[in-house]
Amino acid sequence: MAGSTAEATALARRLSERGEDAARYAPWFDRGRCREALAGNGLPRFHAEAWRHTNPRPWYAAALGANGGGADVRVQAPPGVDVATFDEPRAADLFARHSGDILDPAEHPLAAVNGLLLGAGVVVHAPAGLQAATPVRIDGLGAAFQHVLVVAQPGAALTVLETPSAFAHRVVECVVAAGARLTHLRRQDASGGCECSLVAATVAEGGRYELAQLSKGAALRRNDLVARIDGPNAGAHIRAAWRLDDGHLDNQVRISHAEGGGTSRQTYRGVAGGRSRAVLNGAIHIAPGADGSDASLTAKNLLTSATAQVFAKPALEINASDVKCAHGATVGALDEEAVLYLRSRGIGESDARDLLVRAFLAEAIVDEEGARSLGLSG
Amino acid sequence: MTLLAVENLHVEVDGKPILNGLSLAVPAGQVHAVMGPNGSGKSTFANVLAGRPDYTVTAGSVAMDGEQLLDLAPEERARKGLFLAFQYPVEIPGVSNMEFLKAATDAQAKAAGQQAPSAVEFIGRARQAAADLRLSADFLKRGVNEGFSGGEKKRNEILQLLLLRPRLAILDETDSGLDIDALKVVAAGINAFRAAHNAVVLVTHYQRLLDHVVPDRIHVLAGGGIVRSGDKSLAHALEAKGYGWLDS
Repeated sequence: MAGSTAEATALARRLSERGEDAARYAPWFDRGRCREALAGNGLPRFHAEAWRHTNPRPWYAAALGANGGGADVRVQAPPGVDVATFDEPRAADLFARHSGDILDPAEHPLAAVNGLLLGAGVVVHAPAGLQAATPVRIDGLGAAFQHVLVVAQPGAALTVLETPSAFAHRVVECVVAAGARLTHLRRQDASGGCECSLVAATVAEGGRYELAQLSKGAALRRNDLVARIDGPNAGAHIRAAWRLDDGHLDNQVRISHAEGGGTSRQTYRGVAGGRSRAVLNGAIHIAPGADGSDASLTAKNLLTSATAQVFAKPALEINASDVKCAHGATVGALDEEAVLYLRSRGIGESDARDLLVRAFLAEAIVDEEGARSLGLSG
Repeated sequence: MTLLAVENLHVEVDGKPILNGLSLAVPAGQVHAVMGPNGSGKSTFANVLAGRPDYTVTAGSVAMDGEQLLDLAPEERARKGLFLAFQYPVEIPGVSNMEFLKAATDAQAKAAGQQAPSAVEFIGRARQAAADLRLSADFLKRGVNEGFSGGEKKRNEILQLLLLRPRLAILDETDSGLDIDALKVVAAGINAFRAAHNAVVLVTHYQRLLDHVVPDRIHVLAGGGIVRSGDKSLAHALEAKGYGWLDS
């Protein structure tokens, strides 16, 4: 393997030595293609295209030290939603039927590592037409390497909430069937650890996938997201907001319009202060023939200190002619005139700045509880 | 009793002197107008009182109710009862006017050790004040000054004045950009605010606001200091003869 550091080499050796004992947990899980992917491409190096601003090295060190975990699965679901851990027999069947081709370990080497070191997995299944009364809460899966498969069958409506919990890598696969609606809330707390994740979503005709992800910084936090529009009137709306006082956050998002007539929106609002570093790559891909696609991306960043850094890059790959596509990215600072205006009315300086930060982030925040998770008063 | 006492105030911006020994005393219960030509230092004076950071005070003192102001942060001055109506009110998209007004009221109540009004009570008060200023209730829901016309922004300043009930109101060119109807509405707001326990300093270029808000004293600011003070007839003399008359 072509890892550039001692940590990557050691991790690669551990992965190759794992052999048969790995298959004790969920033996049906296809580890072969994970192994092939890593054998072919190796682990990514710092400065490689997808890792231009994020050094994966601390993650390799953390992944090496991570244990398998005791599978302390903490998931709550409303009536009608089936939750099966990977060691329950029906999970294998649900997984075989629904886990799709969007999750390609060759393109996501950290997910391949996850597959080889998998310690906990769960399938969340909403049957056709189910209107779930309350969110499915994922409070923790108790292993360093985790896999979640969420299936919303035709016409189902479901909310899945990921509350902050520790892991080395988590894969969340979301399958949104025709006419289904999946709202996916993710909250990520400040952490001194290295946490990486991959969300892979597919949306069939008339379905809707809505992500609202709120992040604080970590020593290394990387969120990859791939979403694919698979039919007409399918929609995906990605909202991500972050407020970093410290640490590193890298969001890598790619939305593909595989079929025409779908809509995608990407809304990013980020505040970076202290010595934090925020990275955003947001890509829109329109496949050949996906006419009538409508896609947009806006990214607004606020720097609240002279030592914070932001790298924001929207990217468009358009291979169809009849499409609507728009994107824009900005980086700025708080309006000091507005701070003074608020202070001149008796509002303290830190409260004034908080109020302005909250207003800035508001477009990407969908609920009050989420706002509080970013340290913003309701 | 003197509410505002300014003595020998010297102020610089970027090393350039703007105010050169300005002195002014405003007793409680009075309205004083500070008039002067462009560039005379009127807005500098108003902003220094409110604590805008871009100015350097090189000498002099400012006291409100006997308490020195110049070492206080802008929010501390506001909590002690000082209010500046901005010449150019700031647009704050994403923060609703109501949210802003409640946050300001709560912050000031807290500093005074008083109970903040309940949300219901406050909304009632805000709606009444908006109606008095002929602002529709929608203005309370919109972002602070966001997309407001010039006149609406000025009326929104007076709305804040009526809700925050300061001890000392400094109105910086609040009459500029107002048509005659809006001017009357704003003047009525200021007159409603006037009381024995507070004071108003009107900073203005023109005399026309003073037809509707009759001042107790008028001061003419030129070259960074007060060059003449008098009663309301001074404003009419200035209007008739222009500021050049003072030099002759």
